[in-house]
Amino acid sequence: MTRRLKTVAQLVALAGVAGLLALLVWQLGNQPHAPGVGAKAPAFTLRRLEGSGTVSLASYRGKPVVLNFWASWCQPCKAEAAVLERDWTTYRNRGVVFLGVDFHDLASDARRFVSAHSLTFTMLQDGSGTVTSGSYGVSQVPETYVLDRQGRVVAHLAGPITAPAFAGEFRSALAKAAA
Amino acid sequence: MLRLAAVAAAALVLAGPAAASCAHPRTSLTYLEGQVMCPTCHTTLDQSDSPAAQRIEAFISEKISACWTAQQIEAALVANYGQGILAAPSHRGFDLLAWWLPIAGVLGGALVLGLGVWRWSRQRGAEEPAETVGSGLDEETERRLDDVLARFE
Repeated sequence: MTRRLKTVAQLVALAGVAGLLALLVWQLGNQPHAPGVGAKAPAFTLRRLEGSGTVSLASYRGKPVVLNFWASWCQPCKAEAAVLERDWTTYRNRGVVFLGVDFHDLASDARRFVSAHSLTFTMLQDGSGTVTSGSYGVSQVPETYVLDRQGRVVAHLAGPITAPAFAGEFRSALAKAAA
Repeated sequence: MLRLAAVAAAALVLAGPAAASCAHPRTSLTYLEGQVMCPTCHTTLDQSDSPAAQRIEAFISEKISACWTAQQIEAALVANYGQGILAAPSHRGFDLLAWWLPIAGVLGGALVLGLGVWRWSRQRGAEEPAETVGSGLDEETERRLDDVLARFE
């Protein structure tokens, strides 16, 4: 009886260790990572920052999309906002869609930011960061993705598009996506 | 002196209604800083100095001034940031597991330990050798010991 009990206890302990190991492996395998150039942009549906309702990325299939992740507390986002608005007004006639995703931010602060910078492109809210850091692996804002008409990533700029390293890349990616 | 008195009076006039209008004890920023997470650094607000944490602290202070309760402030933050903004899991649904699992683990461990000690003590009792009568030496040794002792007498 004692031996049987011992065997059962050992099996239970082993199952516990195996479970913890499986959890560790699963966790490591599910680390968020940014979709690379050429990869399909992860689908999402987010609430509109202003007004009601939701917007899904899939609804823009067939159009090039500039996906900009930002927050009102982010300093570089302030400098970038005017450039994004200018590019939006330039490229909107060519069918390019600009989507701003406000990340880990108070909606009231974000609305003030949009109003202060006179931004007119569609703004979405991702307060929990599920899409931004979960699907797109963004850890620091601003980050910008340029997607082609098929929803594939043409460029990923992990920093402000106003940075010298990114400005040229952003413009050429935008031109390529809009072509 | 007169100016100082005027400033103090103005402050009292301004602060008075706000302080008096609360129908319940005010919650504190210090308390909520330990209950709310900084979404970008994954620590509680009291351990973070990030811009996102500072904005949440400002929001909390604003709502405390407006007499919001801790529950109302937490609910507003959850509506904006999701459940992950709270340091402790909720007491509903799947989150309940986070509260009950450690208790169940401790109770289970105590039960297993108790059972083990009980079995061990019983086993020891059964294996205890019966008390022997006499010296416990074999005959030959006893005989030789008697011989040696006899020599000294």
